[in-house]
Amino acid sequence: MSIITVRDVTKDYLLGKTQVHALRGVTLTVDQGEFLSVAGPSGSGKTTLLNLIGCVDTPTTGVVEVAGQDTSKLTERALTDLRLHQIGFIFQSFNLVQVLSVFQNIEFPLLLQGGLTRAERASRVNGLLEAVGIPEYGRHRPSELSGGQRQRVAVARALVTRPALVLADEPTANLDSQTGQNIIDLMRDMNRKDGTTFVFSTHDPKVMAHANAIVRIADGVVTGREPVGATA
Amino acid sequence: MSARLDATRVLLRIAFRNLVASRVRTVIIGLIVLVGALIVVVGASLMDSIDRGMRTSIQGSLGGQLQVYQSTSEGQLELYGGLRGESLLDPIPDFARVKQVLSGVPNVKMIVPMGIDQALVATGNAFDVTLARLRDDVRRLQAEPGDAGARRGLEARQAHVRRLIALLSEELNQARVLVDPNGRDAAMRRAQRADLDRAAAPAFWTEFERDRLAGLEFLENKVAPLAMDSGFTFIRYVGTDVDAFMKAFDLAEIAEGQVVPPGQRGILLGKQYAEEWLKLKNARRLDQIKDKRDRFHARIAKEEELQRWVKDTRSRAREILVQLDPLQAAEAERRLRPALRAPEGEALPALLARLFDLDDANFDDHYRIFYAELAPLLRLYQISVGDVITIKAPGKTGAFNAVNVKVYGFIQFKGIEKSGIAGTTSVMDLQSFRDLYGYVTREKAEESSRIRARMGATAVSREDAEAALFGGGASAALVETTRAAAIDEKALLAGVADKRKTALAEETRAYSQEEIDAGVALNAAILLDDPRRLRESQAAVQAAADAAGLKLKVIDWEAASGMVGQFVLLLRGILIFALIIFFGVALVIINNAMVMAALARVKEVGTMRAIGAQRRFVVAMLLVEIISVSVVFGLAGAALGGGVVALIRASGGIPATSDLLFFLFSGPSLMPRIGGASVAASLILVLGVAIASALYPAWIAMRVTPVEAMSTED
Repeated sequence: MSIITVRDVTKDYLLGKTQVHALRGVTLTVDQGEFLSVAGPSGSGKTTLLNLIGCVDTPTTGVVEVAGQDTSKLTERALTDLRLHQIGFIFQSFNLVQVLSVFQNIEFPLLLQGGLTRAERASRVNGLLEAVGIPEYGRHRPSELSGGQRQRVAVARALVTRPALVLADEPTANLDSQTGQNIIDLMRDMNRKDGTTFVFSTHDPKVMAHANAIVRIADGVVTGREPVGATA
Repeated sequence: MSARLDATRVLLRIAFRNLVASRVRTVIIGLIVLVGALIVVVGASLMDSIDRGMRTSIQGSLGGQLQVYQSTSEGQLELYGGLRGESLLDPIPDFARVKQVLSGVPNVKMIVPMGIDQALVATGNAFDVTLARLRDDVRRLQAEPGDAGARRGLEARQAHVRRLIALLSEELNQARVLVDPNGRDAAMRRAQRADLDRAAAPAFWTEFERDRLAGLEFLENKVAPLAMDSGFTFIRYVGTDVDAFMKAFDLAEIAEGQVVPPGQRGILLGKQYAEEWLKLKNARRLDQIKDKRDRFHARIAKEEELQRWVKDTRSRAREILVQLDPLQAAEAERRLRPALRAPEGEALPALLARLFDLDDANFDDHYRIFYAELAPLLRLYQISVGDVITIKAPGKTGAFNAVNVKVYGFIQFKGIEKSGIAGTTSVMDLQSFRDLYGYVTREKAEESSRIRARMGATAVSREDAEAALFGGGASAALVETTRAAAIDEKALLAGVADKRKTALAEETRAYSQEEIDAGVALNAAILLDDPRRLRESQAAVQAAADAAGLKLKVIDWEAASGMVGQFVLLLRGILIFALIIFFGVALVIINNAMVMAALARVKEVGTMRAIGAQRRFVVAMLLVEIISVSVVFGLAGAALGGGVVALIRASGGIPATSDLLFFLFSGPSLMPRIGGASVAASLILVLGVAIASALYPAWIAMRVTPVEAMSTED
């Protein structure tokens, strides 16, 4: 069953006075449980595609369906709700809330969602702290952590709501290669354990190799989709 | 529901932590808010207190809650006088009718008729007073020739009068240097000189012993008028139903003497007026110096004004000398010498010079000595309770009218005793006012018709005047009149006695309420049962007056107070202007700080939006930050303001340094009070300004899209 459907999507935007055709007709489906890498050089349209899938932007033409919903038909508020409940985000520069502790950063989406008791939230957050390998850092502030540790917090935050889909835009770009490797391994583990769908962009071949499929993109069009051998 | 609760919780948490994280910004915004709240609370409390003070002063002294006056008047009613003197008001022709109509209006408690005007009052001089005493002694001695006390008094008084004549002679000599001896009035001045020389001669006093009454007659008619310090002072009075006035104005109280008995003619002199215009100048100066020293901690050594007053006091010692007859002078010497530790045998002029040689070290002592030892021997005020004074004023027709009224007492207004604004106003009966103003009261009309009847006068129109005077029966009429005048001297004298009796009867008779009400008034104060319903009652009074065809204008006490009220308006205007400027600046600063904060947090806000926070979440977050800072620092500012107000109160309030302030403060100092309303208003104002200044930054935050979170530059 596909969780993402992208059909004949174009996306134009203005950069200063020039019209940029970031996507020129992209069609793509992602099935549940995939661990998909979007690869391509800078300016190829990777980020634009991820933004469309992540419901932070809507296409100029074509259809983007996430979890069965046509994003161009949703209001701003409904899109926000869709992001809150169906999608987890991991950012290139981690984007943690500086004034909150690690525990509170992970808890944050749960509080936005509401509905869980304090104990339920605590057990879920602690479980994830454990899972991402920093169980003892709950009380720390993000500024007290290393880059890799911060990205682990970000992964935990993306997963805490148990989303159908996790999007990661260049999650390893700000990390050294070993740490980046570890983060990808972590995501892969999560993917395997819970069946969460991961879509991440990268231009690092080593990172790509961990995906179970690679979508190559160049000049705003998908140039190919290739499965990666079971040799992950 | 719980989703919102959870979201609110995290929102508050982030907001507060942001406040703590950017302390400098928080403190800057907080201090601005704090100072703002402080200014508003202190300012509002001062304004409220001044407002209350003024309300008390005006409503309790002359104003009442509402005032009515004839709407056809050229000028506006100004209870305390305006720049151009008294208001030009048309009279209300029939006060009784106004009273009848307006009494029926709900919430109207009392209506007090008034006529405010200025007049001249004859103050008399030392010579007059001494002669009056001499006449008393003469009378006593005639009644009981063997009275030793009266005999001694008479001798002392005679000596006093002779001394006054000597002083007068000296003054006249000085004055003669300045005038042309052959000028227009030369003959008259020569006659005056002769009179004075005659009174100064020992022969006159030998003659005086033989025929005292004739001697007194000569002194009173020929010599006393030469005294040059005789004079008039101005008096400002309100002619009113004194009885109703005392009931209506709760601040009015008798400082000395008693209230004018109900329905009688009489005047209550303003205490402050008496202090300023009627009091012996030296006593007044001493009071003023004491006031300056006690209340404002002024020192003679430092203040030029006080030094001038001290000098003035020294040079006026003569006024005390002329007041004392030889017996009193000796008594004064006997009292002053030990008090001032003066050498035995030092005479009164030297003692007085010693007494008035004032400096900061001896002032309090000498002040006490003056009042304890010397003052009981002196006539401290030119007019005393019990005197009958003559008041003159130009009437409606332009001719001077005069009335004699008894001074029943001195009146003052509680709390504002020292203010000249209300304290210089005297309170006189309405009938006397009508006489002075030239409006015919019923009895005046009756009297003039009686006189007309006796004189056989008939109304003659302008056209018929010639015929009546020189026409047919002219010679017969003339002869008749001449004859009547020639033979009827006794009847004429009887007529004079008759007139005197009527005048006396008029001065002492009691008027009924109907008589007091019937006639003119210039304005009327209306007192309400419930002053809070002032606006409503003002409209109702106006409507009732209009419906009854009375041409009345109804104004509130604030408008009736004229310039005084406008001053408070000005004060309030200045405060509001200052607040607008302050909060204008505050708005810009807070706005700037918050815009910076919003811009610095674009990425964080974008992240929250991407993760699933709605726009309202981020807007609320920013508003919570600014509101909580405003509330906390606003409360602190208000509390500090309360502290400042408490401090002002603890230090005895803000002293009234001028007449106007005395009146506005309704007392010697302003005791500001914190009103719940002013604190609430200050918080609302501060909060409003803070929220207004956070709106633009909030809008910036709202426009942040989740895409911002994706941007990679860091």
